[in-house]
Amino acid sequence: MRRVISIAIYALCAAIGLLAFLYPFLLPSTPKAPTAMAHSQDAPLTTAALVGLSVTALLVELQGQAISAKTVAMLGVLVAITSVLRFIEVVVPLPGGVSLVFAPILLCGYVFGARFGFLMGAFTLLASGLVTGGVGPWLPYQMFAAGWMGLSAGWLGGIALVRGKSSHRVRGLGRRELTLLSVFGFGWGLLFGAIMNVYFWPFATGPANQAWSAGASLGEALARYGAFYLATSLGWDVARAVGNVALILLLGAPTVRALARFRLRFHFEVHPRA
Amino acid sequence: MIHLDRLTYAYPGGLTPVLQDVTLHVAEREFVLVTGPSGAGKSTLLRCLNGLVPHFSGGTLSGRVSVAGHDPVADGPQVLSRFVGFVFQDPEAQFVMDRVENEIAFALENQAVPPDEMRARVEEVLGLLDLTSLRDRPLETLSGGERQRVAIAAALALRPRILVLDEPTSQLDPLSAQDVLETLVRLRDRIELTILLAEHRLERVLPHVDRLVYLQGCGQPVLSGWPREILGQMDLTPPLITLGKALGWKPLPLTVDEARALARAQVASGRREISRPHPEPPPSRHAASTSTFSEALLEVERLSFSYGANRVLCRVSLAVGRGELVALVGPNGSGKTTLLRCIVGLLNPDQGRILLEGESVAGRDTADLCRRIGYLPQNPNDLLFADTVLEELEVTLRNLGLSDAPPVDPDELLDRLHLREVATSYPRDLSVGQRQRVALGAVTVTRPRLLLLDEPTRGMDYPAKTELVRLLRQWQAEGTGVLLVTHDVELVAQAADRVALLVGGEIVADGPPSPVLTESPMFAPQMARLFPHSGWLTVGDVLSHLRPLTSLPLCGKLSPDDNFSFPGE
Amino acid sequence: MLDVRAWLLWALTVLVAASSCRNPLYVVLLLLIVALTDVSFSAEKERRGFPSLFRFAALAVPLSAAFNALTVHFGETVLFRLPGWLPLLGGRVTLEALVFGLMNGLVVTLIFGGFSVFNRVTPVHDLVRLAPQAFHEAGVVVSIALTFIPETNRSLNRIREAQAVRGHRVRGLRDWLPIVVPLLVSGLERSMGLAEAMVARGYGAVSDRSHPLRLQLLLAGGLLALLSGWLGWLFFPGPTPLALSVLAAGVCLVVGAVWLAGKEVPRTRYRSRRWRIRDTLVALGSVLTLAAVQLPIPMIGRDTLYHSPYPRLSLPSFHPLMALLLLGLLVPAAVAIRRRPR
Repeated sequence: MRRVISIAIYALCAAIGLLAFLYPFLLPSTPKAPTAMAHSQDAPLTTAALVGLSVTALLVELQGQAISAKTVAMLGVLVAITSVLRFIEVVVPLPGGVSLVFAPILLCGYVFGARFGFLMGAFTLLASGLVTGGVGPWLPYQMFAAGWMGLSAGWLGGIALVRGKSSHRVRGLGRRELTLLSVFGFGWGLLFGAIMNVYFWPFATGPANQAWSAGASLGEALARYGAFYLATSLGWDVARAVGNVALILLLGAPTVRALARFRLRFHFEVHPRA
Repeated sequence: MIHLDRLTYAYPGGLTPVLQDVTLHVAEREFVLVTGPSGAGKSTLLRCLNGLVPHFSGGTLSGRVSVAGHDPVADGPQVLSRFVGFVFQDPEAQFVMDRVENEIAFALENQAVPPDEMRARVEEVLGLLDLTSLRDRPLETLSGGERQRVAIAAALALRPRILVLDEPTSQLDPLSAQDVLETLVRLRDRIELTILLAEHRLERVLPHVDRLVYLQGCGQPVLSGWPREILGQMDLTPPLITLGKALGWKPLPLTVDEARALARAQVASGRREISRPHPEPPPSRHAASTSTFSEALLEVERLSFSYGANRVLCRVSLAVGRGELVALVGPNGSGKTTLLRCIVGLLNPDQGRILLEGESVAGRDTADLCRRIGYLPQNPNDLLFADTVLEELEVTLRNLGLSDAPPVDPDELLDRLHLREVATSYPRDLSVGQRQRVALGAVTVTRPRLLLLDEPTRGMDYPAKTELVRLLRQWQAEGTGVLLVTHDVELVAQAADRVALLVGGEIVADGPPSPVLTESPMFAPQMARLFPHSGWLTVGDVLSHLRPLTSLPLCGKLSPDDNFSFPGE
Repeated sequence: MLDVRAWLLWALTVLVAASSCRNPLYVVLLLLIVALTDVSFSAEKERRGFPSLFRFAALAVPLSAAFNALTVHFGETVLFRLPGWLPLLGGRVTLEALVFGLMNGLVVTLIFGGFSVFNRVTPVHDLVRLAPQAFHEAGVVVSIALTFIPETNRSLNRIREAQAVRGHRVRGLRDWLPIVVPLLVSGLERSMGLAEAMVARGYGAVSDRSHPLRLQLLLAGGLLALLSGWLGWLFFPGPTPLALSVLAAGVCLVVGAVWLAGKEVPRTRYRSRRWRIRDTLVALGSVLTLAAVQLPIPMIGRDTLYHSPYPRLSLPSFHPLMALLLLGLLVPAAVAIRRRPR
């Protein structure tokens, strides 16, 4: 029962996220342009609020299953390390949208599971946002996207774990797993950019999108978004995706080895009073 | 208050138990010092008291534990947190919050103490530990000693009846350590508290301790009793006690003052005067001063360095000869580490120059310099990343393009470092002393002519230190020069050929150890304080200068070693 | 100086006002307010540089204007034409589209400015402590992360040096390995110590339990209501009380679940700073502005908030009462100036 509700919560959050992603394109295609016009003013804010609420709900659900002190401490420290990696980006200029924070989120999710992955992703963006002065209406979207990144990496790890033998983990990643993870990292590199654009899109185009009021079709809106995407972020996103792949290929195996070695210490058996 | 009855505990996967049949009883308001070699189970024992062992670590436990009427094994650490406050070794790894008062409130928040009461309790604890003026400070801006005081305050916020401290000063410099230990002594007078303290630096706390617990490790029984009684049964003790034992002093002196009185008594009974200044320093190994090391390996000339407007080094001149061990001592923040970093080219000095074997190092790449200089940073963990010990050595060779013709055979070096058995182990699984030696191996595999060591004995126990001194001696004999930055005065007294004192970025003294150390009140070793103006630094110095007296029954007990006279007769 | 909660309300008001306002006169007024607040809260030495607000505007405004002008072929004042074979760009380029783009740029700048002030003036840890009870763990995680960031930074530099003295050089990505691995492993080792320290101070004393089923049900129900309400609100015409009430119910359910989750864990919060009169003033000012831009109050010229340049550029209208109400956001600056010693 619990399991079913949990899945329902994930699915609903994903649906809200998807709707937040798609509504600018769905809106103009409705025949009732006046309504669209009326709502479009509040739409970006409403969307931000809804995404915020769904991140909140997912957080409540995920931390509900008793977070032990070990998890909290480890999350805190890992988030700190990843946030520091975000500083490196400032010191060592990286090309385009390459960011060092995504690979750790993916790898940690992969090793420690979906729940840890989500929390790691969401908190990393939150903490580094707080420190770098990046708090704003975009934060829920970032947390949402990065959280799902970690969550899905955890699922990927779960699948790999079922198919392979768990003891392999200690030795690090096999070639197959590494390839799988890099493809995954590439996809998420692009997806993250797309999600963040959707947040920015309504702000950039203004509340009463003149294209909508002109009765533009879904196709036109998408074309316009495509142009926006090409102009503002495709280059960055591809660079980010390639960066993720490079990071995972080069540093993935040793990092996973270090994390996995630690996972052994993390789980233990208690035999009080033998 | 605390009752352990035949407590036996083994870590998960551990073959032999860390604690075996430990029986110990501590009364209320006792101040207990727990000591013993590393690996003997001090930390484990303390963690049993609040249930961290076995609730946090897993493993197998048998026997009975009762703390303040509770059973930590059954109740777990969360319940016990109300009765036992715990302070850990590393001040950097126990803070959750940003500011002093928030950190102190953390435990209160966890126990859902109502806000008004919480505010009152925070004030109370701040006052108790003299932290009121620091209440708003971010923790990262505090010194090590202040941080540990905050940690103590945080542990006391729940008003526990027992305070447990696990080597709270092992990561601190001597002044901060003193600050922490004095705080404990004060605390004991102010409130009703049972204190258990695990500590390497016995000399500072011994005078205040009610009970000494000595864990010998290796399954041997735990000794517990009056400090003087237990000290007599320990092998490695502070210099004062060692001297007291060698001279058969009874009771064993715990402070320099007590020792002075004992020495005076001994002299009186032997009709000798001791406090008279010695006409000339006795000839010792230190007499081989700078002159022997004519061949300068490293010369630092009028070096100045500033971080922005903050001047860290000011016209520092220093030389290290071939086969010479120079100790660089000085208070925290006096620029010792900065000097080392200038020498290896990590920092560019503003003025002055550095000559390595007669060549200037200016503009040379760090990696390039490090073929000839081995630099061991403060924390060996910063170096270690490979999967095996042997690999750590090979990485350095590979970095420097020396893999084909290594200056030292890595296997041989491992032998010398006593690391052969662990050559294929994961470096991070080793003990502190072993890790330190792995790091040492990683920087000396290039066979450097000069070795720079930054605080190599931090957190080490006596045997590990002895081992380090042995290694350094070997290298010195081969002509390697060593520049040793340390706070460990007893180590300097034991090993240094020359001592330079760096204060506020300036060298204020430079010369053979005895004059430099004895003249600085802060860095004088116990023996120098006990026999001022004698030039003696170590127990060995003292004993070798005491000539046997014809017959002098001292305090009843007599053994061939007991008969000494003081020099100058 | 001001309570974080007051600042949060202020920043949110700037956000709401900015996104519901497209009248250049009001937008400029709001920008001035934000800039003034920015200046009155920056330290002496920071004030010399060119404010980041202007730097951001210099980038965002032209970009937004160009993008809008080139992709929206709407409006009557044609500046020039681009050849029709260009996909998307082809067609007339109008003054109206350019002006609208400029407006968008200014609004984005306004939002950025409001939050950059907020980010600068609020102590990060105080912000974390605002997390509701239900997110105590989350708050602790973020708090640990923030506490460890400076330490990790130092550790990173130390490791870089330690590796450099072994002849290590950072040339490519792979060379980061000897730096990243010790950083990671030391961090993980430290996290174990930290977890011990937390447990020893009673962390998790009362909360090592799973959420009850009803909480999960509440959450799921709330999300379902949110999703359906939102769909209805977006796609059905006219005033939609049903959709709105479903949406409101969803919000209530989720908020209720959060509140319930918070009640499960009896913990208290330590606050050394108290809410003061000036915090109330700031909050009142923000609420005033918020009401002016969001609530359908007559007689304050709410319709002047939105000005469309299409189809032909015209002068925006201006209502003095509305402008006056927007000045509610100026309270923090006023408080700061009053308290500054001359």
